Amino acid sequence: MDRSLTFEHELAAMLPRLRRFAHTLSRNGSDADDLTQAAIERALRSRAQWQPGTRLDSWLFRIMRNLWIDTARSRSRKEKFETPVEELEQLGEDPRDAIEASLELQRVMAAMERLPDEQREVVALILIEGFGYRETAEMLDLPIGTVSSRLVRGRTALLALVGM
Amino acid sequence: MVTDEIFFAWLDGELDPQEAERVAAEVASDDKLTERAKRHSAMQTRLKGSFESLLDAAVPEPLLVAVHTPEPEIIDFAAAQRSREARAWAPLPRWAALAATLAVGIFAGTMVPRATTAPLDVQGGKVYAAAALNEALDTQLASAPGGDIRIGLTFRDQTGTICRSFVQTAASGLACRSGGRWHLRGLFATPEGQAETYRMAGGTNPTLAALIDSTMVGEPLTADQERSAQALAWH
Repeated sequence: MDRSLTFEHELAAMLPRLRRFAHTLSRNGSDADDLTQAAIERALRSRAQWQPGTRLDSWLFRIMRNLWIDTARSRSRKEKFETPVEELEQLGEDPRDAIEASLELQRVMAAMERLPDEQREVVALILIEGFGYRETAEMLDLPIGTVSSRLVRGRTALLALVGM
Repeated sequence: MVTDEIFFAWLDGELDPQEAERVAAEVASDDKLTERAKRHSAMQTRLKGSFESLLDAAVPEPLLVAVHTPEPEIIDFAAAQRSREARAWAPLPRWAALAATLAVGIFAGTMVPRATTAPLDVQGGKVYAAAALNEALDTQLASAPGGDIRIGLTFRDQTGTICRSFVQTAASGLACRSGGRWHLRGLFATPEGQAETYRMAGGTNPTLAALIDSTMVGEPLTADQERSAQALAWH
């Protein structure tokens, strides 16, 4: 099979996970999809840098995380605390379940949004995406001890924020 | 004494078996630590569950399109292309080789891409389904009786791309997914006087049949597979 087509197929298969990671980093669904779109475009432009046989997910997540840093961190604090008008994400067959799932997602995203960026990304990668400490440290170019201490602070703050 | 870092590394399964055992014993003998482990596990379950719903949600069409969008073309070429398209069917010879009998003449007046209702649309040297043809390809299942346009077979080519054959009174053809649209790989005129027979039989034009044969990998999709593919925006 043509190598570029293989790449596109694998990228397409990764879309749900890329969207999920984007939602863990972004303040709302439309920002998350903008981030996903930007990551797809950058991945396609940089596809020559990806080595077949290595993990595509880490490579894509790294691209997305770098884009997020470029855009989200330059945003003003003011904008950050404006309440965004959020469309309900279509998340299931049963409309009642779908609405409940969507509201729950918004609640959790709002709590994640209040974490400092450097804590949010480790919480997202380890607690939600299921990467190990070492993989996360490599993806973020950080010492493993830094990842571990940011994770402690992030999840402790999050527990207080979601009121559990 | 268990530090926060060690406690959570244990909770996350990051410790080696020996150390994990030691921390587990310490947590078990300390009510506060036990409670803390429970609350954090519950929070993680909730956190994962909330975002998990996104994995089953339909991926928005623009993102699917973005994955399959080819590199932008050189501007001068694109401009030249547009001016040729404005004149007529210049890009046709590109795939005319596929066709023993080309349907352009037959479609004059009904299929020439002039109005927004024209069933074909030419862009960047490629012919795409539009209007009624696009809608039939998007929404009509092969098993459905259909109206003026009838879907023949739905199948995948060697790259996994979905292709669908279709039959209309005057012509039949094959279209495959490309960049979120239906790219026409072939369009063939129906022999005169046989329109209705061809339509009812699901398109047995020999040239189309040969094109289908050379494109299809595996078996045609069943009705169920077809519905699933449709639900995934024909991926």
